[in-house]
Amino acid sequence: MEKLDVFSNEWCKAWEDKVKASKDFAVFNKGWQGDIGCVMFKDPDANVPENQYLYLDFEDGVVNGIRMVDKEKAENAKFVISAPYVRWKQVAQKELDAVKGMMQGKLKLKGNLPYVVKYLKGVQESIRCLTEVDSRFPDD
Amino acid sequence: MSGFHNRILQIDLSSGKQDVISVENDYWLNYVGGSALAARLFADTDGPISDPLSPTNPLMVMTGPMVGTNFPGSSRFVMCARSPLTGIWGESASGGFFGAQVKKAGFDGIVFLGKCDRPSYLLVEYGRVELADARGIWGLDTYESISKLKQRHEDKQPARVLAIGPAGERMVRFAAVSNDRAHYLGRTGMGAVMGSKNLKAIVAKGTEKIPIAYEDAYPAARKAALAKIKESMICSSFHDLGTAAAMDMGTLTGNVPIKNWSLGENYEMAAAIGGPAIHESILKGRAACYACPIGCKPVVEVDNPEYMVSKGPGPEYETCASFGTMIMNDNLDGIAYLNELCNRQGLDTITCGSTVAFIMECYENRLLSKADLDGLDLSWGNVDAVIELVKKIAMREGIGDKAALGSRTMAELINGNAEDFTVTVKGLELPMHDPRAFHGIGLAYMNSNRGACHLQHTVQAVEQGMVAWPEIGLEEDYPATESNGKAKMVSICEDIGQMANAACICHFVYWAMGLDNFFAGFNAVTGYDFGMNDFLATGQRAWVLKRALNNMMGVTVADDQLPKKVLTALADGAAAGSTPDEELMRREYYELRGLDERGIPTPQLLDFSGLEFLNERLEKARAAR
Repeated sequence: MEKLDVFSNEWCKAWEDKVKASKDFAVFNKGWQGDIGCVMFKDPDANVPENQYLYLDFEDGVVNGIRMVDKEKAENAKFVISAPYVRWKQVAQKELDAVKGMMQGKLKLKGNLPYVVKYLKGVQESIRCLTEVDSRFPDD
Repeated sequence: MSGFHNRILQIDLSSGKQDVISVENDYWLNYVGGSALAARLFADTDGPISDPLSPTNPLMVMTGPMVGTNFPGSSRFVMCARSPLTGIWGESASGGFFGAQVKKAGFDGIVFLGKCDRPSYLLVEYGRVELADARGIWGLDTYESISKLKQRHEDKQPARVLAIGPAGERMVRFAAVSNDRAHYLGRTGMGAVMGSKNLKAIVAKGTEKIPIAYEDAYPAARKAALAKIKESMICSSFHDLGTAAAMDMGTLTGNVPIKNWSLGENYEMAAAIGGPAIHESILKGRAACYACPIGCKPVVEVDNPEYMVSKGPGPEYETCASFGTMIMNDNLDGIAYLNELCNRQGLDTITCGSTVAFIMECYENRLLSKADLDGLDLSWGNVDAVIELVKKIAMREGIGDKAALGSRTMAELINGNAEDFTVTVKGLELPMHDPRAFHGIGLAYMNSNRGACHLQHTVQAVEQGMVAWPEIGLEEDYPATESNGKAKMVSICEDIGQMANAACICHFVYWAMGLDNFFAGFNAVTGYDFGMNDFLATGQRAWVLKRALNNMMGVTVADDQLPKKVLTALADGAAAGSTPDEELMRREYYELRGLDERGIPTPQLLDFSGLEFLNERLEKARAAR
C-alpha cells in the first residue's frame, strides 16, 4: 500500500477511516464532548518549515472528522495538545506513548485534565488508529 | 554547616530526663538527615536487639536540612524505630506542617527512649520542652485528640500535632500516626511504637529561622525549581485529580491490584473510584503541605447517610485501591468512609485494606468461616462488613485481634494454605503497584529496607516513564515487563530515593523539579557543595546502612523474595502472562550492590560506603548463621 504524506488530506482521511472502523473507539469515547486541536511546531531541519495544525472533531463516541486547519481553529479547540514535530512523529511511529509523553512534558495539554483522564482509553485508541496509517514523514 | 540547628532532643520517657544532643559534623555530612541520619543514630542504640514494643526500642522523629525553609517540597519528616509489624527497620514519612514546626521550635529531631508511666504527650514550643499528662485524651480518636491539643496550645502560632488513635494505644501492629488529621505516617506501625511508650501525641510550634548557607544563591534556586514544577504535567495531574489519578492511568498499564492481586483489569471499577470519579462527586477542595506548590491532597465530603464523611481529608490512590479494587468494592462513598475511619482510629490503610483482602480470600476458600469472623459476611465487595471488621481491628476485638497483627502473622494462625493469600515482602504488605506490570518495582520491593515499599526509591516514576535522568543512567524508556537489566535502574533509583528521604523532600516535587534544581536548592541551604557523585554516594550509604541494620535483625537472602501471588501470571489486563524473574533480578542486583550470597554487605562495600564501623557487628551476624 502506498504511503501517505503526513499532514495531507488523504492522510487525515485515512486516520479518520481507521477511527471510524474502531469499535473500541466508539465504546471508550462514549460521552466525550469537545474538539481537539493538535499543534506541531515547525522543524525546518526535518523539512517542516511551518507549524502544522490538526483538528479532531470527536463527539460522544463518533468521529465527525479529522482535518488540517488554520492556527486559530486548532488553538481554540476545547483541548489543545502541542509538541515539536519530532515528538508527534514518535507518537505516530509508536516510539512514544502519548499519555507518557504528556507526563514527561514532551507533549503539552491545554484543557480540563480530569476530563481527559476519564477518557484515557479513548485517547489511546485514537492514537492506536493513527499508528495503523502507513505514513510518510517529511524527513524520511 | 547550615540547614540545621545541630540540636536533637533526646528524652527518656521513663525518667523524664531531657538532653539536647549535638552530633559531629560528619554525621550531617554523611547522612544528611531524615531516615538516613535516624538509621545512623539507631545503630548506636539497643534498637537492633530490642523487642519493637519494648521501652528500649528508640523512636526517632527526624527532619531534613531543607525542612522549614520555603524551598518547594521541603515539608517532609520521618519516624523511625524497629517495626512491630515486620520486626526489622521501620520508617514512615509524612508531609504536612509538623516537620517545619519541629525545626522552627529549635530542634532537628526528637529521640524517644523508655516508656512513660502514664499516658503523656510531648510539647515542644519555642525551644521549651514539656512532657505533659495525656490521660484526658487517651482513648479519643485522632481527630478529637488533635483538635483538643490544638485548642490547648495554639496562640499566634499554629500548633502542629502528631497523635495516635485507639489502634495505636492498643498496639495494632500497623497503627498509623495522624499528622494534623490530614496527613499520615502509615507504614510499619510507628503508631504502635508510640502506644507502647504511652506516648499519645507530640505538639510542636515555634518561630526560629532555618539557617541558609548561601542566602544570595537560594532565591534563584527556589525560583528555578518552582518554574519547573509549574510546567510539570505530573504536578498538574496530582493537583487536579489527587494521587487517585493513578487509578485511571494505572488501569491502562496493569499497575492496579484487583481482588487481592488475582485479576488483571476492571475498567468499570477503576472508573467508579478513580481520580475523575472523586473529582465529579465528593471533592470539595484541595489541600497542600508546607511549601508545596502542587496541592495534591483531596478534601472531600460525603452526604450519603450510610457513609457520611465530614469535610476533610479524602482517600489517596493507595487507599482507593486497598479499600476499592483489592476488596472488589466500587462504592466510592464507602471508600471515603473507610478512609476516615482508618484516619480516626489511626490505621495504615495499605496494610489494613490488604489484610482485609487477605481475610476475604481466606473466607472465600473456606479457611475462615463466618463464625471465625464473628458473624461477618466478608464476601468480596461487602463494604459494610469491612467497616465492622476495621472497627474490630482498631479495638482488637474478636477476629480484629488477630487481624491487628497484619496478614503475615495472621496467616500463621490459620490452618491450610493461608500463606498463599498473603502479599508481603519482609512482612510489609505491598503498596498498590503490581510488579507483574513493572518488573523493576518488584525488585525494588524485594530489596526495600522497610519491606515492600514504593517510596524508598524512585523506581515507579522512572520505570513508568514519568521521569528520566539520563545524566545518571536513568533512561527514558524501560520495557515494563522485562526483568533483565533492571538491577542497575533500581539501584540508582534507590540511591537517589534515599537521598530524597534523607533531605526530607517530597518525591512528587523531586520528580518534577529534576535533580539539578534539587541540587541547587540543597547546596544553597546546606553549603555542602555536593556534586552528583556525593548525592549518589550519600544515598547508597543510607541504603547499605539500613540493610546492615536489617541483617543484624535477622534479614537474609531468604527475605528478599516476592510473594507467590505476584509470581503468578494474570490471565487478563495489560500485564497478562507476565511475571518478574526474581532469581535473575536478585543475582544481577546483588552483584551490582556488593551483597554476598547471603544478602549481607561485603566488607568491601562497607568500606566503600564509609560504614567500616559495622564490619565487626556484621561478622557476628554472619557467624550466627
